Amino acid sequence: MNETVESMLEFARGPLFRFTFALMVLGLARLVLLTVYGVVRTYILAGDKRLFWPVIRQRTLWTLFPFSRLHRTRASYSILSFAFHVGLIIVPIFLFAHVHLWQRGIGISWPALPPLAADVLTILTIFAALALFSLRAASSLSRTLSRAQDYAWPLLLILVFVSGFLASHPPWCPVDYRVMLLVHILSAELIFVLMPFSKIAHCVLIPFSQLVSDLGWHFPATAGKDVCRALGKESTPV
Amino acid sequence: MKALLDPGELAKALVHSRPEEVRKEQRLNVRYHIEHPAIIDRPRKFLSVFATILRHVPSYGLALEHYVRCQAKCGRCSVECMIYQATNDPKDVPCYRSSMLLDIYKRYFTMGGRFWGSVTGRGDLTDEKLQEMAQSVWNCTACRKCLLECPSGIDHGLLTHLARYILSEMDIAPRALVVSTREQLEGKTGNTSAFPWPAIKDGLEFLEEEMEEEKGVKMHFPLDVEGADYVFFPAVSDFMMEAETLMGNAAVFAATGDSWTIGTKCHDGINYGLFYSDRIWDRVVSKVDAETRRLKGKVILIGECGHASRSAKVGIPMFCGGKAALPVVNCMEYAYDAWKAGKLKLIRGAIKERVTYHDPCNIARTKWIIEQPRELLRYICEDFVEMTPNREENICCGGGGGTVSIDEVRPYRTGPAGKAKAEQIRATGAKYCVGPCANCKKQLKELVEDQEVDCEIVGLHDLLYNAIDYSELERKQGVEPRQTEGNTDCVTTSTEAASS
Repeated sequence: MNETVESMLEFARGPLFRFTFALMVLGLARLVLLTVYGVVRTYILAGDKRLFWPVIRQRTLWTLFPFSRLHRTRASYSILSFAFHVGLIIVPIFLFAHVHLWQRGIGISWPALPPLAADVLTILTIFAALALFSLRAASSLSRTLSRAQDYAWPLLLILVFVSGFLASHPPWCPVDYRVMLLVHILSAELIFVLMPFSKIAHCVLIPFSQLVSDLGWHFPATAGKDVCRALGKESTPV
Repeated sequence: MKALLDPGELAKALVHSRPEEVRKEQRLNVRYHIEHPAIIDRPRKFLSVFATILRHVPSYGLALEHYVRCQAKCGRCSVECMIYQATNDPKDVPCYRSSMLLDIYKRYFTMGGRFWGSVTGRGDLTDEKLQEMAQSVWNCTACRKCLLECPSGIDHGLLTHLARYILSEMDIAPRALVVSTREQLEGKTGNTSAFPWPAIKDGLEFLEEEMEEEKGVKMHFPLDVEGADYVFFPAVSDFMMEAETLMGNAAVFAATGDSWTIGTKCHDGINYGLFYSDRIWDRVVSKVDAETRRLKGKVILIGECGHASRSAKVGIPMFCGGKAALPVVNCMEYAYDAWKAGKLKLIRGAIKERVTYHDPCNIARTKWIIEQPRELLRYICEDFVEMTPNREENICCGGGGGTVSIDEVRPYRTGPAGKAKAEQIRATGAKYCVGPCANCKKQLKELVEDQEVDCEIVGLHDLLYNAIDYSELERKQGVEPRQTEGNTDCVTTSTEAASS
């Protein structure tokens, strides 16, 4: 049993991790490149190339760093969502065990979070994810809007955070910590694979959103006439 | 959360004025009149038009692809949508409405959607879905306030605009807008209200006499003056229904001494294309551009109208020459710049009563015109108060996106769509609400009437007309000086005179 778990852990930490991580990086890079290509193409073909840069800049910053707007509308939801995202970004990157893995694998390291801070942030993230899931499930408005992935993502993220927390605290772990570690790694790898193909792609696309929304109104100079011609309506009255 | 409207009020607002047999015959259960909509095989036609537009307008494809990838469906936009706040109907949430189009795009125009759609047979476009969309996109006033709160940065207004465009190519568009545009582009009068030019000309001559009588100085509406710096395009309704605003425009030019003119071939800034069709948008701004060039004008000056200003400001450079396009200026910008440059003298505190300001969405949401009218109002009004929220975060009047011109949906406009605005105006306790937009003005006038708010809706130039210091003009024209203290009673008197 132990040997099986060890060999599975070895596989999950080794080739499977490299494969899924590469898939995530390449998948997200593809989305960024496609977006940049789309932006450049739209800009080149646009009849008017002036963009409202001050507004685009300000609203992009609002989206990325929404400190000044958190309390304004649905404050509890906004603060929960913000805390959730902070935990999602900080913990995986700055957890000591993760930094150590990177150092061992590719020889690069960076400062790690103190263990207590990492634990607090992890618990906060789990709590926020649970709360966001509950709010979505409890509200009839949210239920009308939600897709399957909107429920699945918080649960998957809770799984990866809870398993990681328990694996790093063996005394509290109800099963062998190596089994929990395996669950942690496999669930994280599932996230890697799904990221480029789901709404989580927003992690790399959000910085482009306001630019894309502004460019959306920048049509080619001949757009109206071209559509009219293509639809065969040149001589049709209004 | 409690809805702004109770169920009884809501039921009244959602009443259908179209006979049931017409709705059945057209197979469209919408509240606006339609001329001759496509009836047979609509889903296929919709997809065909959608594909054509995507092929020729890459900006739509860019936005749709981006939104499909990162739409969070968090419902945060609901807190900014005054329609949802009034109805509490999840189908009025902007991202629900956007999903109607995004789901179709994903199903038919992405590889994954085509694959999963053909495997599972789910998500196919049906006539029922199109019918729901046809009503939903005209429930929205396209105010784009939801863009401010969407954490994914989705411009739901753009998606509503695109959905309306596709539907309009299947002849599913409000008859009121289509008929007006037909008259503007192909009719004898050349304007959306079908006012004959002789009647407009007579009206302008009458207003010239009126202004001389009221202010003691001669002020003119120059017609077809070649080489004038500014060629003026107000919303055509100003000529007949908002005379005070028009007199304010003439008074500002008389005071500054700049050359301006109104073209006889095209004198209507209204552009319903912004609301339902890009190719109509193109044709209308091209007509405005052609008239300005015919008169050898240097600047296209748009009157007090939010959508006319935005459609020209965005549309003229986009469809009529890019960098080489003629500059577009809104008349409030012009007045403000003239005042700052010392060319326009105003009387401080000329307006004694309490005044508030409504930001038209089309000029405020992008922060284009926000502070200029406020600075003017703070100067000429003794008691200027703000609504809350304001500026780029303003609440729509409820008649945006062309809905104000659809008379049959008035109960909806002054009900769910306008309720929040009515309460906002009521809370200021203002005697005058400045709504510097022909559409906003019409909607706000109907709104204060239906919601029983004690406030008079005016334009910025209505007040400027009564706050200009005419002494310089009097001196130039050699007439006896009159008393130049402010008197807001003129606002009411002159408007009544013009409409009579």
